[in-house]
Amino acid sequence: MNLALLVPLLPLLGFLITGLGYKKLKHNQAGIIASMLVALSFIVSVTLFFILKSSGKDSATVTLFNWINIGSLNIPFAFLIDHLSLTMMMIVTGIGTLIHIYSIGYMHGDERVNSFFAQMNLFTFSMLLLVMGSNYLVLFIGWEGVGLCSYLLIGFWYKNPAYNYAARKAFIMNRIGDLGFILGILLLFFTFKSVTFSEVFQQAGALQTGSTTITLITLLLLVGALGKSAQIPLYTWLPDAMAGPTPVSALIHAATMVTAGIYMIARSSILYNLAPVTLEVIVVIGLATAIFAAIIGLKQNDIKKVLAYSTVSQLGYMFLALGLGAYSTAVFHVTTHAFFKALLFLGAGSVIHAMGGEQDIRKMGGLKSKLPVTYLTFLAATLAISGIPPFSGFFSKDMILSKAFEQNPMLYALALGGALITCFYMFRLLYLVFFGENRTANVHPHESPKVMTVPLMILAVLSTLGGFLNIPALLGGKLGFSSYLDSAVTSKSGEEMNHTTEMGLIALSLVLLAIVIYWAYNTFVKKAEVPAGDEVQLPAFQKAVANKFYVDELYRAVFEKPLASLSVFLFKKVESLILDPAVNNIGRGTAVLGALTRKLQRGNISFYLFAMVAGILLFIVFILII
Amino acid sequence: MILLILLLIPFISGLAVAFFKGTQAARTFAVASAILNLVITIFVLVNPVSEGYSAEWIGFMNIQFNLATDGISLVMILLTNLLFPFVILAGWGRSQRNVPMLNSLILLTQAALNGVFMAQNAFLFYVFWELALIPVYFILLVWGGDDRKSITLRFFIYTLAGSLFLLFGIIYLYQLTPGSHTTDFSAFNQLQIPEQTQTWLFWILFVAFAIKMPVFPFHTWQPPTYKMASTQGAMILAGVMTKMGIYGALRFLFPIVPLGVQFWQPVVIILGLIGVIYASVIAFKHTNLKTMIAYSSMAHISLMAAAMFVANEYAVKGLLFQVMSHGITIAALFYLACLVKEKTGSTEFHQLGGLKNKAPIFAILFLIAVLGSIALPLTAGFVGEFLMIAGLFQQSFWYALFGGLTMILGAIYMLYAYQRVMLGGQKPVFEKVTDLNRLDYIILIPLLVLIIGLGVFPQPVFDMIKIAGSALTMAH
Amino acid sequence: MKDITSAIQIIPLEHYILLCVTLFSIGLLGILFRRNTIIILMSIELMLNSVNLLVAAFSAYHSDPAGQVFVFFIMIVAAAEVAVGLSILVMMKRNVDSVDINLLNRLKW
Repeated sequence: MNLALLVPLLPLLGFLITGLGYKKLKHNQAGIIASMLVALSFIVSVTLFFILKSSGKDSATVTLFNWINIGSLNIPFAFLIDHLSLTMMMIVTGIGTLIHIYSIGYMHGDERVNSFFAQMNLFTFSMLLLVMGSNYLVLFIGWEGVGLCSYLLIGFWYKNPAYNYAARKAFIMNRIGDLGFILGILLLFFTFKSVTFSEVFQQAGALQTGSTTITLITLLLLVGALGKSAQIPLYTWLPDAMAGPTPVSALIHAATMVTAGIYMIARSSILYNLAPVTLEVIVVIGLATAIFAAIIGLKQNDIKKVLAYSTVSQLGYMFLALGLGAYSTAVFHVTTHAFFKALLFLGAGSVIHAMGGEQDIRKMGGLKSKLPVTYLTFLAATLAISGIPPFSGFFSKDMILSKAFEQNPMLYALALGGALITCFYMFRLLYLVFFGENRTANVHPHESPKVMTVPLMILAVLSTLGGFLNIPALLGGKLGFSSYLDSAVTSKSGEEMNHTTEMGLIALSLVLLAIVIYWAYNTFVKKAEVPAGDEVQLPAFQKAVANKFYVDELYRAVFEKPLASLSVFLFKKVESLILDPAVNNIGRGTAVLGALTRKLQRGNISFYLFAMVAGILLFIVFILII
Repeated sequence: MILLILLLIPFISGLAVAFFKGTQAARTFAVASAILNLVITIFVLVNPVSEGYSAEWIGFMNIQFNLATDGISLVMILLTNLLFPFVILAGWGRSQRNVPMLNSLILLTQAALNGVFMAQNAFLFYVFWELALIPVYFILLVWGGDDRKSITLRFFIYTLAGSLFLLFGIIYLYQLTPGSHTTDFSAFNQLQIPEQTQTWLFWILFVAFAIKMPVFPFHTWQPPTYKMASTQGAMILAGVMTKMGIYGALRFLFPIVPLGVQFWQPVVIILGLIGVIYASVIAFKHTNLKTMIAYSSMAHISLMAAAMFVANEYAVKGLLFQVMSHGITIAALFYLACLVKEKTGSTEFHQLGGLKNKAPIFAILFLIAVLGSIALPLTAGFVGEFLMIAGLFQQSFWYALFGGLTMILGAIYMLYAYQRVMLGGQKPVFEKVTDLNRLDYIILIPLLVLIIGLGVFPQPVFDMIKIAGSALTMAH
Repeated sequence: MKDITSAIQIIPLEHYILLCVTLFSIGLLGILFRRNTIIILMSIELMLNSVNLLVAAFSAYHSDPAGQVFVFFIMIVAAAEVAVGLSILVMMKRNVDSVDINLLNRLKW
C-alpha cells in the first residue's frame, strides 16, 4: 500500500523538475515530463485499485510522518485509500493526464510553457492531497493548495490586469469559504477530539441526529464547500476563472478544484446524515444554483463563459444529490461530469485555437466541416450534458432527478426545468459554433494537431460510455459504481420508486428534451438567429440575464466598496485623527507643561529670593503645625 | 557558561568591529561572528544546558547576573541568532554610511536581545531591554530614510515611556519580596500578590510590552517607523524586537500577576482582535509596500497577543511557533521590499508593476513569502495561525471567527500588493531591471526554505517548547 | 571674663532673641524689596550679624565658648564673601552701568 505515496509524489516531482529546470527545458520537454508523471500517477492509482480489490479490505491508511502533535491534537500526514478516494484519484490523474497531453499542443509556443506545466503538476498534486488525506487537515492542505494553484493559473497571463483581478477574486472567494471550513474543522476537533476521518465517523454515531453541534459543524464545512464548488453565494469567481488558459479551465472544472466540495461532503456523509437541517439547506442552495446559473448561461456569448455557467449549474445538481442524501449519485455525477466537461472545455480550446484566440460565439459558425473531430467529440459531450441516453450524463442526471422525485415531485419539476434550460443553451452553443455559415471573414480554421485531438477522442468515448459504470436496476443493471462506493459513503436509502413511474419520468424528460433541441435547432440553425451584439438594447429581463443578474456589481457595492471606505475611514479618521493625535498630544502636553513651569525661571534674582524665603517660611510653618 | 558566551560574542565583536577601517573587513567579521553565534545556539539546542550562569553583580541590592534558558527563551534566542546573520548580510554590497559603526550597532543589538531572552532576573532583564533600544535608535536615526528624526524620536520616547512603567513595576515587586529583597524571577513568581494590586500592576507591566509588540491602540509608532527604517533596521525591529514584547509578557504577566491576567484577559483578547481587523482593513487601502507590510505585521502580532491571553495549550504553542514563523517571514518580506526599492527606486504601488517580466525568480520568491504571510498550509504561517485560532476557538467561537478573518483580509491585501508590484505589463521605465543576484539568493533561499520547511515539519519546534508551554498553562 | 558673662546675663535672653529676629527680618525684607545691589549686600551683612549676635548671646547664656568661635568664623567668611560680592558689584557696574539687581536676569536657560 505504500505505493500510494507515489500517487501525489509523482506530480510533485514533476512540479519540481519543470519548476526548477524552467530555464533549461526546451520545446515540449516540460510538457512531456509533466504528462508522463501524471500518467504514471494514474497507472499507480489503477494498480492500487486492483491491489485494494484483491486484498479484500475496504480501506488502507498510509502514514508518512507525524505532522502536528500537541496535546490531544494529533495530526498525522497520512493518506486514506478507500473506494471513494480511489475513485477520485483515478478521475484526477486520468482526466489530468489527458488535459496535460492536450496542453502540450495547446500551449505550444507559449514563452512560459515550462512554468505552466509546473503549475499544472502542482495543481494535480494539491488535488491528490485533498482526495487522499486521511484527516480533515491534510484535506485542508490540498483544499488551500488547489486555491493557490487556481490563483496562479487563472492569472497565468499576468500581463493582463483583468486576469490578475479574476485570479485574486478566485483566491479570496475560496478563502472566505476556507474560513468557514477551518472553523468547522475546529468545532469538529473539539467535539470529537480528533480530525481523522475514521475516528470522527466512529464517534459521530454517539451524537443525536439534528443536534446543534452536528448541524453547526456540517454548516461550517458546507461554507467551505460552497466556496470551493462555486455555489450561491460564492460562485462568482468561477465564471471569471475563464481568464486562464483553456486547459486550466478544463482542469479546474472537470478534474480538480470544484469537485472538492462535493468530495468533502460525500466523505463526511456520516456527519451530514445526522444533520437534516443542513441537508435541506444544501438542497435549496444546490437547486437554486442549478437553475440560476443555467438561466445566466442562456445569454452568454463567450464560449467559455457558457461552459463556466454550465459547470456552476451542474455542480448545483451535484449539491442537490448530496442534499437528498444520495452521495454516491453525486460522486457518480462528478465522474460523468468530469468526462464530458473536460471534453467540452478541451473542445472549446480546440475551437479557440482554430479561431486564433477568438472566444465570441457570435463570430464563429460553420466549423462543423472544418473541425470534424472537434465537432463530433463536442457533440458527444453536448448530448451527455443534456442527458440524452445512452450518453453518460443521462445516467447520472436521471438518477438525481429520480431521487428528487422520491423526495418531492416539486423538486423534480424544478430540477427538470433546469435540465431543459441546460439542454437549450448547450445546443445553442453547439449550433452557433458548428452550424450555419462562418461569421468571421479572414479566419481560416484548421483542425488541431493529434496531440490535442487524441485526448478529445478518448474523452468522447468516456463521455459516451461512462454511464454504463452505473446501470440502474431499471435497465437490468446492478448500480456497480454506487455499490462500489458504499463502503466509503453512507447514502440515505429512500423508498424505491416503482419502475413504471420511473419509466414515465424518463419518457417525459426525453420528450421535453427533444422539444427543446428542436426549438434550439429552429432558432439557431433554421432561422440562423445570432445573439445581438453588445451595443443592442435588450429588454429588461434579458439584459439582466446577459449581465449575470448584476451579482458582481451587487457584491462590489455591498462588500468591496464599504470595506474600502472603512479602510479609508479607519486610516483617515481613527488613525490620523484620534490615535495619532492622542500620542502627539501627550507629547505636546509635556511641552506645554514645560512652557508653563519655565516661567518660574525667568532669571529674576528677586523672584528667586522671594521664592526661597517663601519656601523656607512654608517649611517652618509646616514643621510648626506638625 | 555557554550562555554567557552567547552573550559575549556579539558584544565583544560588536565593540571590536567599530574600530575596523575597511568596509568589507567589518562586514565579514560581523557575519562571521553572527554565524558563530548561530552555531553555538544550535549547539545549545542540541545539548540543552540545565545549568544557567550566575555571578555576583550588585551586591548591596542582592541582584545577581544570572542567565538561564527554558523553552520560551530558546525559541526567542534561536530566532534572534538565526536572523542576525541575514540582517548583516542584507547590508553587503550596498553603499552605506560608516559600515563598521553600523555593524557594531547591529551586533550590540544582538547581544542585548540575547541578554533579554536569557536574563533570569527582572533587573537584568530591564537593563538589557533598554540596552537593546539604544543601538536600534542609532540604526534608525543615522541609516533611516525620510523624516527619520521625528519618527525615530517618537519611536524612542514611545518605547521608553513604556519601559518606565515597567521599571516602576519591577521596583514595586522588588520591595514586595521577603527578606533581603531580590529581583529574581523565581522570587517574583512566588509572590502572592492580592488581587486588587494585581489588577493595576498588570497594566503597569503590560504597557511596555504592549507598546513593543505593538497592540492596538499602542501601535501608532510602528507603521511610520517600519516604513522609514533601513532594511536592516526593519528586519531587526519587525523580526525580533516585536518578539521582545511577547516574551516579556509571557515572562512577567502570567507567572507574576496571574489574577490580573485573568481579570483583564477578555479586554486584551478583544484589543488583540480589534487590532487584527483594524490593521488588516487599514492595510488594504495603503499604497506603499512597506507600510502595507508593516500593517500586516501588526495584524499578525495582534492575533498573537490575543492568542497569548487565551493561554491554553494550543494557543501558546501556536503563538511560540508563530514567533518563529512570523520573524522569518517578515524579515524576508522586508528584504524583498528593499529589493523592490533598489530595483525601481520606489515602494509606492502607483509607480510599480510588471516586475515579473524582467525578474521572474524575484516574483516567485516574493510570492512564496507572501504565501507564508497569508498562512497557506505547508508554510510555517499556517501551523502557527491554525493552532492560535484553535486556541481562540476553545475559548469562544466568536474569538476564532474574528481572529480567522485575518485569513481572508490578509489574502486580500497581500495578493493585492503582489499584483501591484509584480504582475501586469512591462513598464518602459523598468526595462533595465535585473533579476536577483547571488547575494539575494544567499539571503532569501534559506529564509524561504525555512518558511516551507517549518510548515511541513513543525514538530521539532513543538518538541523544543514542550516544557515551556505546559509550565505556562499550568501557571495560568 | 566672668564679669562679662554675668553682665550679659543681666539682660534676659528673650530680648536678645527679639532684637536678632528684628534685625534678621529687616535684612530679609531689605533683600526682598530693594533693587539696589549695594543695599542687598548690606542687608545680607545685617542678617549675618543678627545671627552672630544671637549665637554670641546663646554662647554666653550656656557658658559654652564654642558659639563664640563660630561667630569669629562666620565673620571671616562674611568678610571674604563681601569681597567677592563687592567685586561682582564693581563688574556689574562696569558692564551694565547700573547696580539694579533686576538687570541680572541671565540666570536662565
